[in-house]
Amino acid sequence: MIGDDPLNIIITGVGGQGNVVASRIIASAAVNEGLYVSVGEIYGASQRGGAVTSYVRLSGEMQYGPIIPRGMAHIIIGFEPIESLRAIGNFGSKKTRAIINPRPIYPVDVLSGTLEYPPVEEVLKAIKELVYGVQVIEATELAKKAGDAVMQNIVMVGCVVGSGLIPIEIETTKEIIKESFAKERVEANLKAFKSGVGEIKGRKAV
Amino acid sequence: MHVEIDEPGRKVLLMGNEAIARGAIEAGVDFCSGYPGNPASEILETLAGVAKKLDFLTEWSVNEIVALEAAGAAACAGLRAMTVMKNMGVDVCSDFLMTVNMSGTKGGFVLISGDDPAVHSSNSELDTRNYARFADIPLLEPATTQEAKDMTKWAFDLSEELGVLCMVRTVTRLSHSSGLVSLGPITREERSAEFAPLLGTWTSGSGDYTCMFHDALHGKLKTAQEKFEESQFNWYTGKEDAEFIIITSGTGWLYSAEAVKLLGLKDEVGILKLGTTWPLPEKLIAKHLKHAKEVLFVEEIDPFLEQNVKVLAAELAADIGPIKFYGKKSNHIRSEFGAGVGELDVDTVMRGLTETMNVTYIPRDQDYAEKAEKLVGSYAPNRSMAFCAGCPHRASFWAIKRALKWDGRDGIVTGDIGCYSMAQLPTGFMVLKSMHCMGAGIGTATRFGNLKRYGLDKPVIAVSGDSTFYHACIPALINARWNKSNLLYVILDNKTTAMTGNQPHPGIGIDALGEPSPVTPIEDVCKGIGVEVRKCDPFDIDEATQNLYEMLQTEGVKVIIFSRECALTEAQKRKKKPRVYVDQDKCIGDECGCMRFCTRVLNCPGNIWDYTKGKAKIDEVVCNGCGLCAKLCPAGAIIVEEVV
Amino acid sequence: MQNIKGPDDLQRNVLDEELCTGCGACTNLCPYIDMVKANAIIIEPCGLSKGRCYNFCPRSYIDVPSLDKSIFGSYREDIAIGSNIYVMKARAKDEEIRSAAQYGGVVSALIIHALQTGKIDAAVLATSSDGVNPKPTIARSKKEVLECVGSKYIVSPTVSKVLDAIKGEMGKIGVVCTPCQMTAIRKMQDSPFETGEEKISLGIGLFCTWCFSPDTYEYIRSLVGSANILKTDIPPPPANIFVIQTDERRVEVPLDEIRKFIMPSCAVCFDMTNEFSDISVGTVEGEEDWNTVIVRTRNGERFLKSAKEAAIIETKPLEKEKFNHLCEASLNRKKRALKEIDGRKITYLTIRDEERSKIISWNGGI
Ligand SMILES: Cc1cc2nc3c(=O)[nH]c(=O)nc-3n(C[C@H](O)[C@H](O)[C@H](O)COP(=O)(O)OP(=O)(O)OC[C@H]3O[C@@H](n4cnc5c(N)ncnc54)[C@H](O)[C@@H]3O)c2cc1C
Repeated sequence: MIGDDPLNIIITGVGGQGNVVASRIIASAAVNEGLYVSVGEIYGASQRGGAVTSYVRLSGEMQYGPIIPRGMAHIIIGFEPIESLRAIGNFGSKKTRAIINPRPIYPVDVLSGTLEYPPVEEVLKAIKELVYGVQVIEATELAKKAGDAVMQNIVMVGCVVGSGLIPIEIETTKEIIKESFAKERVEANLKAFKSGVGEIKGRKAV
Repeated sequence: MHVEIDEPGRKVLLMGNEAIARGAIEAGVDFCSGYPGNPASEILETLAGVAKKLDFLTEWSVNEIVALEAAGAAACAGLRAMTVMKNMGVDVCSDFLMTVNMSGTKGGFVLISGDDPAVHSSNSELDTRNYARFADIPLLEPATTQEAKDMTKWAFDLSEELGVLCMVRTVTRLSHSSGLVSLGPITREERSAEFAPLLGTWTSGSGDYTCMFHDALHGKLKTAQEKFEESQFNWYTGKEDAEFIIITSGTGWLYSAEAVKLLGLKDEVGILKLGTTWPLPEKLIAKHLKHAKEVLFVEEIDPFLEQNVKVLAAELAADIGPIKFYGKKSNHIRSEFGAGVGELDVDTVMRGLTETMNVTYIPRDQDYAEKAEKLVGSYAPNRSMAFCAGCPHRASFWAIKRALKWDGRDGIVTGDIGCYSMAQLPTGFMVLKSMHCMGAGIGTATRFGNLKRYGLDKPVIAVSGDSTFYHACIPALINARWNKSNLLYVILDNKTTAMTGNQPHPGIGIDALGEPSPVTPIEDVCKGIGVEVRKCDPFDIDEATQNLYEMLQTEGVKVIIFSRECALTEAQKRKKKPRVYVDQDKCIGDECGCMRFCTRVLNCPGNIWDYTKGKAKIDEVVCNGCGLCAKLCPAGAIIVEEVV
Repeated sequence: MQNIKGPDDLQRNVLDEELCTGCGACTNLCPYIDMVKANAIIIEPCGLSKGRCYNFCPRSYIDVPSLDKSIFGSYREDIAIGSNIYVMKARAKDEEIRSAAQYGGVVSALIIHALQTGKIDAAVLATSSDGVNPKPTIARSKKEVLECVGSKYIVSPTVSKVLDAIKGEMGKIGVVCTPCQMTAIRKMQDSPFETGEEKISLGIGLFCTWCFSPDTYEYIRSLVGSANILKTDIPPPPANIFVIQTDERRVEVPLDEIRKFIMPSCAVCFDMTNEFSDISVGTVEGEEDWNTVIVRTRNGERFLKSAKEAAIIETKPLEKEKFNHLCEASLNRKKRALKEIDGRKITYLTIRDEERSKIISWNGGI
């Protein structure tokens, strides 16, 4: 049922982008699919402009530890270009597939002029050199259309679930989304999710 | 919430901290106290969320020692009580810990300690397992979320049986990880509290009595040890009679198991996984030392098992023969910073194994690794931590920086731990020059501000948060006044315990349940102590600076309260955030008169710089709408529009 | 434009040398510099190597020949009191103004006239809530001008208020200020930076030998207690006293006792008679209700003519002897300044060599 076991997924972004919510949704959906799931998360810096990385590990056999070994990420869901590259640098390999929101969130070091943020195309090019394939998703734009830019995380979840790369059904995920948000937010989030699914379905697989 | 699902046998996804909470629920906890601190905060938050429904008590205490005392009292009265805290919180409560271990407990009494290997969100790699040994109390170390639940539950039984408090040690990586947990039944036993200590008094005694109690404690520990020999939390897997064994505890277990699997060593290596790590189950360990010729220790932070097992091996040397030990001492288990520092992971264990056994492992081929490193190096600039968009501290520290410049005497700013610790970084203009434990800012300022006799004559500013004020600053403030210090104490009152996830404190008017409770205003406390107190909004930067400056010009102990709500809690409450934008015609960018003040100096992540246009821009996703940049923009180019 | 430098140079050449006059020309331009107790403080360097702060500062550099040229069209002929068209005595006709003013009320009368005739829309003056500490303010009516009468001998950051006024809605702005402040304004007008300085349409300069630092206030209070201070004065030599008039009594302090409060930057000041103003106004020895007036620019001359025609002021010729005394005082000031500048190897002042040698060799008498 599941190709690589464990299937290692990394969700990476910046504090405030909704990493934890996204990893929780994927993990909970996987539980409902009957898989062993472990999620590793470090979020002390989450609201403070720091990078946040979640590890989600799915297995049909056993419970794995919360950290993915180097070079063993199968899927990288990147909410931010340079954080995606950083995660791929640590955990990626030529087998890794990446789904990336290309919208930069500038580090304060860049804002202050101490460091430079390279052109996004170059970051994406660097990523392409390191992985098997990349889907670039304008998730923030899609989220805006769905009602609020912050839902880019849900758009991205839609993309990864819609891609068929992980053994989780669209319907299962929808149910989890319904449980995960306050009533008044459910509809917008489902819309964001669907737009992610639609976006990826319209593309050729890489 | 998953923690309240009453379906025994059902498997649900729980975070480590939720699992600990669930364990307490299954144990029928009657009271839980704590002080927020990563990585332990969510335990009490979770419990508080169901406390009303399940009808038990919770409290956020003002600090860890009060929390432990409160739980100790409940346990003394025969209830099941738990206290949760971060690693450095155990330091704070250790005074009570070192006596209540001897006075004992009637009800189950459990201390949960959250350690932070690699310092993800604290400022110490303190290994609190040492406290368990230090205090002669039983210690449990869960390896998985399932164990986090099960051990917490068992800790209550154990504590009750032995009559001593038990400690459960978690780490950030477990507390903040989620895994499947098979639920047990929720039990609600109706207990009644009474003050009826066994000897009439609840005491660690004095003189000979203390020695007797101390000896009794050792007896309890012996009983614990006997139980541990049989514990389901300790097991051995892998090759029977393996000559190479791993002894591990906590998160080290899963990493070890995966490492052994990845290296294909399943048929060669045995793993002794220990869940009860003080006192050690000596017989169990002896059994496996007997067949081992080489032992690799895998554990978080200190070589705790490593040292204690080595002592045991020395005692058994005649029986077990020579053994080679690997681990932190031998530098085989080490992080990028060294041995005994940082956090474990699968790769670390694999490296330990390849360096001690005759195997090789290449995670990625050399070319790929080099290329990855090069590309990350050139295309992924570092991302420093920073105050959130809208954070009042940004304004506060700009005001402090200005006031110190105005003053011109090169004043010293001391502080402690909280979001404001980041004032050591560019985000806080590197104003803060000291940081230790909670309350240390004002504590140290008390004497920095009173060393004229030895030639140190500089103005001293201490900063602390509001929650920290209640936690640890009041005695220092009194001390400062008593001993005629000269200091200005800045309380950054953002109406929450922000760093740990916005828990309430005594100045807000709500308790752990979110229910109304009496307020103890910071201002009144300070006035009661008898020091001059002023209060202002740090977003009124000029007024804030002027106040600081004026107060720096006078002698004595003074307090200024910078009062403005945390941007995160404030954002949660409001319906719509204001729209902020930069009038591109007015923005003077990097010209004289501005030189990118908003992006370069104020350095709010919501203010970004458009390189192509040479103008500032607002990142509307990140911007919190606070309007600070608009106030400070020298060209008046930043516009804040209320959205209706 | 080799003279244009940035905040680092301001720090090194001016602030570290204690040469800040507290004029405020470098503040209110950017968020990096604040004025505290008449001293500019750089909170954080902006990182630019060229900036208005250094460029406008009256102590970073003064190129007298070049300023003369840009203001008066030619270099000065009068080395004692600078370029001028004529010198005279004058006083306000309006009794109300005169009785309130420091001396003859010429300054206040001229400003009121300028406002009433539309010569200016607003004037930057210095008011005070305690009779001693000045607070720069923008006046637009006779009433507001009269709230500013009288000299405050403590330094006022008037130029920072000028910058404020420029940012505001007002079209034409008049300024009353001391010589260092006037120098800053002229440098602003002469600089390549565009700050809106063309709005400044009238500069009335006060004579000034020196100015006190803000700490003086506490000293004065220690002399008069909490009494209401009506006026302070430094009567012309040979009085050698500082006078504090309260609603209860008159207190005289020997100048030597209060000298320690003089701004350190005054020691290198070369300009007593406000040499770059349109019209300079000072005291007349022995005549408390008259002013000495030096008309310097064509702009000043035209304006003064209109004031005279409108019978705002009355004038008299200044006696030769008094004129000579004025020149002597000014030359004395210059000679002391040059000595100080040379002694401390400070380089801010550029004057012609022949002027320099004349002043240095001047031995009293005109
Ligand atoms: C610090 C200082 C030193 C002076 N030293 C001398 C001197 O050595 N010899 C001499 O002949 N005259 C000196 N004067 C000028 C003199 O005191 C009178 O101000 C001048 O003669 C004008 O008189 P008036 O009656 O026209 O003034 P008023 O009509 O009373 O008007 C005075 C004007 O001066 C302005 N003013 C007051 N204080 C300040 C200040 N601190 N900074 C800027 N503007 C201010 C007010 O806004 C007001 O508009 C000095 C003035 C000052 C402020």
